Parts: sequence; structure tokens; C-alpha cells
Amino acid sequence: MTFLKEKIFDIKTSPIDSVEVKNALTQVSEREFPQRKTEDWRYAKLGKILNKNYQFDANEVKDISAFLIPDLEADLVVLVNGFYNEQWSNIKSLDGVTILPIEKASQLDAFKNHFNVLAKESQEIFTSINTAYNQGGVFVEVAKNIQVERPIFILNINAGNGVISNARNLIVVAQSSELKVIQRYVTQNGTENFNNALTEVFVKQNAKVTIEKIQDFSEFDRQVCTEEIHQEKDSNFVINTFTLSGGFVRNGLNIKVDGTNCYSEMNGLFIGKGEQFIDNHTRIDHLKSNCISSELYKGILKDSATGVFNGKVIVHKDAQVIEAYQQNKNVLLSDTATMNTKPELEIFADDVKCSHGTTTGQFDEEAIFYLQARGISKNAAKEMLIGAFANEVIEKISIDAVKDFVLAKLA
Amino acid sequence: MSKTIINIKNLHASVDGKAILKGINLEVKAGEVHAIMGPNGSGKSTLSSVLAGREEFEVTDGEVDYLGLDLLELEPEERAWEGLFLAFQYPVEIPGVSNMNFLKTALAEKAKHKGLEPVSSKDFLKLVKEKSQLVELSDKLKNRSVNEGFSGGEKKRNEIFQMAMLEPKLSILDETDSGLDIDALRIVANGVNTLKNAENATIVITHYQRLLDYIIPDFVHVLHDGKIIKTGDKTLALELEERGYDWLVKDLV
Repeated sequence: MTFLKEKIFDIKTSPIDSVEVKNALTQVSEREFPQRKTEDWRYAKLGKILNKNYQFDANEVKDISAFLIPDLEADLVVLVNGFYNEQWSNIKSLDGVTILPIEKASQLDAFKNHFNVLAKESQEIFTSINTAYNQGGVFVEVAKNIQVERPIFILNINAGNGVISNARNLIVVAQSSELKVIQRYVTQNGTENFNNALTEVFVKQNAKVTIEKIQDFSEFDRQVCTEEIHQEKDSNFVINTFTLSGGFVRNGLNIKVDGTNCYSEMNGLFIGKGEQFIDNHTRIDHLKSNCISSELYKGILKDSATGVFNGKVIVHKDAQVIEAYQQNKNVLLSDTATMNTKPELEIFADDVKCSHGTTTGQFDEEAIFYLQARGISKNAAKEMLIGAFANEVIEKISIDAVKDFVLAKLA
Repeated sequence: MSKTIINIKNLHASVDGKAILKGINLEVKAGEVHAIMGPNGSGKSTLSSVLAGREEFEVTDGEVDYLGLDLLELEPEERAWEGLFLAFQYPVEIPGVSNMNFLKTALAEKAKHKGLEPVSSKDFLKLVKEKSQLVELSDKLKNRSVNEGFSGGEKKRNEIFQMAMLEPKLSILDETDSGLDIDALRIVANGVNTLKNAENATIVITHYQRLLDYIIPDFVHVLHDGKIIKTGDKTLALELEERGYDWLVKDLV
């Protein structure tokens, strides 16, 4: 048992055999948790996470059928409270594709060359905690020139009360290969769990990686979820984030575009109700020339929910001929819902085409009246408009079964 | 004697505390076309908004009987289910909602309210094909989001297409002629005339006489400062075109 705020981590450290774990332990003891005055965390009520007792727990899960996605053909990796679950994971071995519990991968070259390379640059204490205390996760490597047809479905399950999980994933997709990953986060039972998952992704030259991320923890669970992405030249990376539930959700998405002629896309749809808090922080660093990035986040906030969007686009000095587009659109469905949005563009190159825009408003009363005047009841009209608003992001999903699943979740 | 569709008695309405309608009396019977004309600010659009149930207008006095129902007690969607149709002066663009899905939902909700089975997909498509021909609406437009990227004329044709699909008992055309070129005007008017029968009625709200060359009214009413100050037949519209409204207003004083 531990009290996160006092950082008395008498809990087990990561089983990964790497000097990175020891360094991270030192960082945890040196770093402070964010305060209200910490700019990047200013809206987050971190007390929900910090003032709790947490424990590790490799809880049993008796049935996962409720958490599967209908009609999805995929290799299944099940992580329960951050532990790799052999019982429910179901992987077909394919030539050139390695899928292993992360602790078993630590002697592989691809692991040693990539593990923590991106995460160690982070100043976030939650990232250090993940590196120091993770108890499992998955390592995925795709060798050169392989278009993996079966996506990999990483199912993260919170099961228990006051459980902390630090799932750690590492995905390396080699030159000219292609991979799709689905990450889903769900609660089986219990409350006040804290999920602090982190995924590092390396997209090598001319490779393509797509992540479909669906977060629907219970409204009593908390999450800090981090993705660290590295793109080499000619590569393509897309992530679509759907935050459908969760008491406290903080997403940190960081992309380093470290090669010319890359394409990067970040899309998100978040729906907050009750007292939920949903925070999306994204950062894309354009380090090389001739790249395009596109970002669209949409939020729907009901009741007393709070949303945050902070999107940083940084075009470095030597990155010329960059096109970067960013949009954040939000709809508030009640007077007590709140949205805090902040686009940040930092441009140090001259030949750059950037645009950003943000809107926050209520539904167009004229549109609702128009639908009503045609015989569509007020509630149905609102549902119709919510669906239309959300659809622009849902349309981005690259796997039909996942698209249908998200649509059904919204219905 | 044909049946009364709507009977408006002493209707007063205000918006933000400002009185706009100051005692409207109007009875419309089945098979009739009534034109309501008047200068800007006379209350024409307020009247159509109040009849369709727009929330920001407050009815301060009077009553409206619509097919034996107290119209003012009904929600806008209930009015639609009972066969009241407002063709908007400014049809709203609704990105992301397809024209077809929108109409299908509208028909399904109406059927549900009437205790009927929803129309089958096959019959729906047949209906769409038939009714869209009436106003020469292309497949491309039908399959787009509601009014999104439509030209002014296309929006108005889409209104009449929706009217044809919903088969209303009372249609209120609010400045449907505004922004239409002569070809579009002819198409729209032809649609309205084709839908006209002995069982339904039409109220045409317009600023100009030219629409009434195509949709021939049985009665023409002049609205001024929230009241109907003169009623006549179709020749009144021609006289208004010639002489404007001032002579009527002078008579009033």
C-alpha cells in the first residue's frame, strides 16, 4: 500500500531489466507532482489521483466477453491492472511479427535500442512512475516490409479497488511495414483505480502505424495516458482518441516528426458528463522539412463536466515547407459544463503553412427548431446534432468493426 | 361549406417585451390560398414563427384553433405531426445530418405519433423519387447534408420537396420567393400548385406581388403594425404593386 502524494513507493519496481528503471526511480524521488500553478496541469484536479492509497493487484478476470469489440478480427493482448494476462491474451504467430510480454522482451536488440528512448525526455513525474513501477505491458515488433493485416487489440482492464496500474508498451514498426493497433481502456468493477499507461511507438522509414484508442473507464476511475511517438522519414502515423467515459482522464500525446516527407494525424472525440474531467494535451514537434500534420479534436460536454484541450505545434528552425493544421471544436450542453482550450503554435522556420482554430458553443437553436418544425422531437433533434458533430471524427476510424462499435456506444 | 383549417382570433405576440402582433384575426378554410403582404417590420415573419411554435415569441393574448386543436399549446414537432408546415425564409444548414436521414426520421416520428408503421425503405425511396421530381431536385442534392452548400434557390426547392414528402394540411410559405430567380420561382410555385387540393390550405407570406402571378391567392391580406388592415381578392395584390402601402396606411389615420 502506498500514499501516492507522499511518494512512499514501497511497492514493487518494474521487472524490466534495464538501467532505465533505476534512473526513473531516482527521478520519481527527485520530481514533484504538478501543482495548480504548473501551467500544463492548471485545470486538473489532481487531488482525485494524489490523495489516495493505491496498491498493485494482478486481479483475476473471469470473463472478458463484455469488453471485446464485435466482429473485430485481431490479435488480443489483455492487460489486467497493468499486468500481462496470459489466460485471456490470444495471439496468432505471424512471421516477422513479435508480440511478447514486455518483461520477456528486455534482452532483444529492438527492445534495448528503443525502450524509454522517447519517455526519458519527458519531465512528467507520471512518466517516471510508469517507467519505474510498471508490472507489465506488451512489446510489439514488426520486421521490415510486412503489412500486418490483423490489427493488435490491446485491452486494458481495471479490476479492483484503489489499484494503480502502470502498463508499459513498446511498439517498433520497421521500414516499409504497416500496423494497426486498437487500445481500449475499461473498468471491470471497483472504484478509484488509477491507470497510468504509457506507450512508446517507433514508426520507421516509410512505415505506417494507426492507433484507434477508446477510453471508457467508469466514472469512478482515473487515468493518465501517455503516448510517445517517433517518426522517421516518409512515415505515416495516425491516432484517433475516443474518450467516452472516465472520472478523470488526462491524455498526453507527443509526436516527434524526425524525418522528411512525413504525415501525422491526431483526431479526438471526447464526451464528458456528470463531474467528469477530460484533458487532452498534444504536442507535435516538426524537426525536419516537407511534412504535413493535421489535428482535429471535438468535445461534447454535458452536466458539470470539464474539458481541456491544449495542442502544441512546434515547427523547429530547420523544418521548412511544413503544413500544420489544428482544430478544436466543442459543444457545451449545459450551463455548468466548462471547456478550456488553448492552441499553441511555435514556429521557428520561415516557409510554413499553419492554421488553427477553436470554437466552443452551444447547439444551434435554429437547427433544433428547424428539425422540430419537421416533426423531430427536441431530444431526437439534439441527438441528431450530437451524432452529426461526432461523426466527423468517427469517420476517421480505419477499421469498420471499431467504427461500428464507437457509433453503437454513442447511440 | 368547406372545413376550417385554422382560425386565428385576436392574436397578440411580443418578443423581448416588444409587442409585434397586435390582434390578428384570420380564418383559413380547406382548399384556400391566402396571401399575407405587408411592408418590412409589419409582423409577417412573426406571425409565421408564432404559428410554427418558435420559442422566443411570447403569445400575450388571443387564440388559435387548428383543426379543433389549441395550436398554441402544442410543441413545434406536435404541430408538424398534425400537418402544419412552415417553409422557412432562411432554411438552416445542418452539416453532418443527411437530407435523407433527416426526412426519414421526420416521417418515422410522424408515423409513430399517428400509431402507424414507419414507411418501408423501399416505399420511402419511391416517395423521394416521385416528390423530388416535382421541384427538380437532383440526387446529388438529396444525398447531401441538410441544405449544406445549397444555393438560395436550391434551399427553397428543398423546402418544397420536404413539404411534398410530409403532405401538410396547412403550409405556411414564409417569403419563399426571396432570393429566387424567375426559373426557380416558377419551379417552386409549380410545386406548391401541384400539392394544392381541396383538403389542404396554404398561407403565402410575401413582400412582392410577383409570386402571386404563379400561386393565385383566393384572399390577400395586408398586414401593418401587427394588424390586418385590409383584405381583398387577388386584385388587391396588383393594386399594392402599383401604389405601394402608403395609401392604405393613410386611410387608417
